[in-house]
Amino acid sequence: MSLNILVVAEADHPFYELITKHYEVRGIEEAMASFDIYDYVIDCSQLRTQKKYYFIKELAHTTKAPVITDLSLCWGEWIYHNCPFVKGAISTLFYAPSKSLEFSIKDENDFQTKKVITDFYQSLNKEALYHQDLKLSFHYPRVISMIINEAYFSLEENLASKTAIDLAMKNGVSYPLGPFEWGEKIGLALIIELLRELREVTGEDRYKISHQLKLEAIKL
Amino acid sequence: MMIKKIAVVGAGTMGQGIAQWFLQQKIQVELIDQNFDFSLKSAKTIETNLETLMTKGKLSASDVEVMKSSLKVIKLEDISVSTDLVIEAIIEDKKIKCDLFSKLESLLNSKTIIASNTSSFPITELAASLSSESRSRFLGLHFFNPATLMKLVEVISGTETNKELSYKLTEWFNSKGKVACQCSDAPGFIVNRVARNFYGESLRACGVYDEKRFFEIDSVMKNVGGFKMGPFELMDLIGIDVNLSVTESVYNAFFNEARFKPHRLQKEMVSSGRLGRKTKRGFYQYES
Repeated sequence: MSLNILVVAEADHPFYELITKHYEVRGIEEAMASFDIYDYVIDCSQLRTQKKYYFIKELAHTTKAPVITDLSLCWGEWIYHNCPFVKGAISTLFYAPSKSLEFSIKDENDFQTKKVITDFYQSLNKEALYHQDLKLSFHYPRVISMIINEAYFSLEENLASKTAIDLAMKNGVSYPLGPFEWGEKIGLALIIELLRELREVTGEDRYKISHQLKLEAIKL
Repeated sequence: MMIKKIAVVGAGTMGQGIAQWFLQQKIQVELIDQNFDFSLKSAKTIETNLETLMTKGKLSASDVEVMKSSLKVIKLEDISVSTDLVIEAIIEDKKIKCDLFSKLESLLNSKTIIASNTSSFPITELAASLSSESRSRFLGLHFFNPATLMKLVEVISGTETNKELSYKLTEWFNSKGKVACQCSDAPGFIVNRVARNFYGESLRACGVYDEKRFFEIDSVMKNVGGFKMGPFELMDLIGIDVNLSVTESVYNAFFNEARFKPHRLQKEMVSSGRLGRKTKRGFYQYES
């Protein structure tokens, strides 16, 4: 039986075109204004934890559907704890150079949610990689954001040029992309949002953001 | 820039690799180690490596003969005065390195470039072991293991290094197929600094010893991030003690900057002798 699924995504989502080929897609405002009923909602919005909480609460109420939500920028454990209508989580916002994307499900025996996610990833030409017991955040966005942030700290301290740092990481430790190339592909604003979230949740200074990264990310 | 003859001091893994790479550029190499027999053994390994490359069709027999005849094992006192470049690749001990640089200065002419392959000491601090006249021709040349295969050379200028010299050496390495990157003299240089949180953040994502979680993070970083190895399997390969030592060195050099803070799990692994593949136990267990 085919499920009636709504995907919430804005036009700047990295997989927007692919998603629109396979799913009914609405932006955040449009989704909030609708009272259509669905079997599942897949929320790909870029909201951070608290805004996401209110959004998906409203979304679940109007659509009467279980929600799978993108938690690339959010405190996953908190969303799971406070949002009973969230059944699973995906991570699609950060450009990933390889074949897979991470996902999580609240109840590991919830095979239907798992299938909805794996089918969704398949439509993005990605394989689904299970992340057990989602805590602070998904692994890839967190680790890559810290690497890119450090590259920007190095740049602001005149350690080397962007080109030299990119070349060094690719040729010294075989990174698939240099950190600046990587940051451009992901979008610096997303990296900043995640680091802010990590700092707010943990209270740790290790997540402070490079001045240079902010300088280059904040565009009027 | 013309480099016809170099000397490599330290015949361990890095020194041996560096010496072989220069030989493959058909440059004369003097290989030196405080243990003469060890440097002979290292030279023999280089010859075997060159012959293997010949067998695989990557080098011609005549080229290998030229390379082998270009390698000389000598004692430090016999180093050629006219050597263009000396690369130090000895133990990471600041005093031993500084003593060596002072000795080299007394043995070489005033044009020889003196370089250190250090991964942890500031070049400006090492340069202080030389007279003020010699400091302009002292710099860092940080190769990556295996030096014959890894293309990167970090070219590190200390405060008193002649910037034109760094630039010319960078150009020279690039013309020989290396990827030389100029950087300033800051802790960890480029790679050992920027890569710290590949390990550090992964350790925090894991928190405690949990082999399933190590595997999960390794899988994510390879299959999502496109890295060749995950952080935990890579730490096991490098040596968890070696990785911790680099982390501590960068953390201390940045006056306890939170971004570089070592994780207690690293310390726990090292204290309990679980150092990675070399001890058959690390984040993973290996068959004996």
